[in-house]
Amino acid sequence: MVLILKLLIGLCWISVTASAALPAQKDELVYRHVEDGAPSSVDPLHIQNTYANSLVTAIYDTLYEYKYLKQPFELKPNLAASMPKVSEDGLVYTFKLKSGVKFTDDPAFKDGKGREVVAEDFVYSLKRHFIKSNRSNGKWLWQGRIKGLDKWGQESGGYQKEVDGIKALDRFTVQVTLVKPFPQFLYTLALGYAAIVPREADEKYGKQISVHPVGSGPFVLESLSSTKAVLVKNSAYRKEIFDIELHGYEEAKHGSTGIAKLSGKQLPLVDQVEVSYIKQPSSLWNSFTKGNEIQYGWVPTVQLDQVLASRQPLKLKKDFSDRFHMRVASDFGYVYLEFNMNDSSIGYHKDPEQNKRNHALRCAIRKGFDWQNRIDRMYHGIGEAFPGIIPPGVDGFDPSLSRESVELDVNGAKQLLKKHNWNAKTLPNLYYSGVNSVDFRKFFVQFRSWMSRIGYPKEKVKLKTFATFGDYSKAIKDGRLMTHSMGWGLDYPDAENVLQLYYGPNKSPGSNSSNFNNSEYNEIYRQASAMQPSVKRTELYKKANKILIDECVVIAGFSRTRVHLWHKNVSMYPTREVLGNYFKYVNVKPL
Amino acid sequence: MGKQGDTRNTAQTLSRTTPIESLWSLSLKKFCTDKIGIASLFVVLVYSLIALGVSLGLWANEWDELLNEQGYGPISWDYWLGTNFNGQDIFQRAVYSTLTAFKVGLVVSLCSLWLGVCLGSVAGFYSNTWLDELIIWLYGCLDSIPFYLFVAAVSFALKESDIAMYVSMIGVLWTSSCKVVRGQVIKLKSLEFVEAARAIGVKDHKIIVRHIMPNLAPLILIEFSLSFVTAIKTEAILSFLGLGVRDGISWGVMLSEASAEVVAGRYHNFIAASVFMFGLVMAFNQLSDALQDALDPKKVVQR
Repeated sequence: MVLILKLLIGLCWISVTASAALPAQKDELVYRHVEDGAPSSVDPLHIQNTYANSLVTAIYDTLYEYKYLKQPFELKPNLAASMPKVSEDGLVYTFKLKSGVKFTDDPAFKDGKGREVVAEDFVYSLKRHFIKSNRSNGKWLWQGRIKGLDKWGQESGGYQKEVDGIKALDRFTVQVTLVKPFPQFLYTLALGYAAIVPREADEKYGKQISVHPVGSGPFVLESLSSTKAVLVKNSAYRKEIFDIELHGYEEAKHGSTGIAKLSGKQLPLVDQVEVSYIKQPSSLWNSFTKGNEIQYGWVPTVQLDQVLASRQPLKLKKDFSDRFHMRVASDFGYVYLEFNMNDSSIGYHKDPEQNKRNHALRCAIRKGFDWQNRIDRMYHGIGEAFPGIIPPGVDGFDPSLSRESVELDVNGAKQLLKKHNWNAKTLPNLYYSGVNSVDFRKFFVQFRSWMSRIGYPKEKVKLKTFATFGDYSKAIKDGRLMTHSMGWGLDYPDAENVLQLYYGPNKSPGSNSSNFNNSEYNEIYRQASAMQPSVKRTELYKKANKILIDECVVIAGFSRTRVHLWHKNVSMYPTREVLGNYFKYVNVKPL
Repeated sequence: MGKQGDTRNTAQTLSRTTPIESLWSLSLKKFCTDKIGIASLFVVLVYSLIALGVSLGLWANEWDELLNEQGYGPISWDYWLGTNFNGQDIFQRAVYSTLTAFKVGLVVSLCSLWLGVCLGSVAGFYSNTWLDELIIWLYGCLDSIPFYLFVAAVSFALKESDIAMYVSMIGVLWTSSCKVVRGQVIKLKSLEFVEAARAIGVKDHKIIVRHIMPNLAPLILIEFSLSFVTAIKTEAILSFLGLGVRDGISWGVMLSEASAEVVAGRYHNFIAASVFMFGLVMAFNQLSDALQDALDPKKVVQR
């Protein structure tokens, strides 16, 4: 009897304490975000997409980060105490780290208490990319750029062995020596790849660090699955005040977002961030409009007519404008269709005459490519294609460049094919490849129809599909595809990041998936990539872009426009490119 | 017709005394009295004609042309069910999909039946031997995996192959006909005409092919109609998931395109594909029921 009584009292006590805990949870500010793809790893070594970059930069610290609202993008110190000291020749960078910043508590550390982040951690984190067995995705950023680092990786003499090019001068000072000037170097230090990982966690968790990150950033990863990631506020996060002026706040542009009220507040602003990964646009839209689920989303193409009151200017219908904030923004990147120059049926050919015919064939396909139709059908009908690969807003973009390469010219295409003796019999099978999906099939149907208009037999325009993006990506890297459609998001706001995609030595399995190899282009790239921003560099960028257009190696480009929406009780200014580390600026007002 | 081979002698002897109407004749008479069965057969024939017309290029030739530059378009004289996202004629696409359905249905049901009948006959004829055990074990294993999961997994595993969908469906659908055939063969092999064939030294494989298999015809017909329907439905599911038809159109592909559209209040694709598929599946199901009734010897004899 006494035992039963004790049990009852115990149960009562548990229920009372549990109910007492509930109000505290209710007071927590939770921001519910959404992405249309999921990360497979949050190890800085294995970032594969912007979804992973968003999480990595929220969990780990990087030396630098982008100002939240500033356009064009501008860097500011994050874990670094200030901007670096750079030698006159642009080869030696000296960074000072903030003191007193600690990693989050974790069993990997002595007594489970997070220790202070020091200069050696940065050195260790960069070296990690060059350990061959780590199979880093981010190694290319620094490959051949930092003195002695490549050699260190090849010799694999262990972390103890020093590298001439990266040294911890004292507890909080790092010095990096470059092989040649690399003006984009600082940008690379704002990427998730450059996140600072404690050695203890790497050693304790090994490959499991991909799902068990230990960082010093504003959030801690609570859970990660293919459908959801949960980040909770890092209670020990250093003092960081939201200075909206520093971050480029403009009343006219950002006034309606409520960000002004957040000035002077300690970051991060919310207690928890839940990121849902929803690929299906209709599911995403339903979840967003429901009201009590995701608080940020975007308008799916098929919904546009139901949501917009007008497209020029872009306005929401009242029902939606009453409930949601809106921002229309172009991706910081572009979509394109690329030819594989190693495929002798359309690319380089040892016979000079056939080489010319292949060039004409590529140009004819480009002339038949109907950008306006694609934009109207697939991208809301908002935006305009631009010639070449340098998107508007990036140094090197030339607004005066001829638009011929992005304009539909069916007759021109037909004439070109006829002139070079291409006809229904001689034309090769044209393979259009991508990941099998409803949208991809729509792309293909469009493409085949356009090709039909320029005289390409329908049965010769073939579809090649892959079940996953990984398989597709691998086929591209292996150079197995005749053409491939892709989107490229700039890693940093510099045209060098897109021009390197066509630099000969970067050929497959490197980033140059087209296997384009042009000596003049290569020389221009080599020169420009080592130059600081200048008029001369801009001219070189333009020249390189022009070569790509003349060679018809890629059908480009278009920066996709997205109609971002977010709930009225959320203060934010959405973007998903380049930036990273933006969850800390988001605030949610309790309903 | 009826029981063939050595049973002919027995049948002929009997027919000299009392005229016997064959099972096929009786079944046909019974089927003709089944109004739903006749209506279903008519619907199936209409669909077959549609598919034949498509394959001969008589209609729905512009199913993948971007006809309407505006993209979505309403129902009109030019576009009987409107146009889709890409400005393609939804009616033509739904009509063309009939050919896809018949292709998939015929290929899958014929191949799976062939496999099922062969293995089922062997298992039944050699029942209680290791061969029988092996075949039972094989279909037991396959049956233990949920059908749609298995088919989706195999299609995914063979992702780059154009025949992935066919292989995955045939790989599973044979088991049902195998089980039914095995049971029937066990029953048949103990009948006198098989005993007689054995007695005069006919080899096993000849007994199976010449004497047993012809007697399985009614069963095979019913199994064919069932697996045809299953194949069409499975194709729709696989295509919806992006694992079915890759370069072409099917009702599954149309439904998959419609998944985002219905939320936006655009139902044309959804309704067209659903109605066309519903009509064929329903007709085949009813036809299958009618055939089962008509070919069931017990029910035929009751008349």
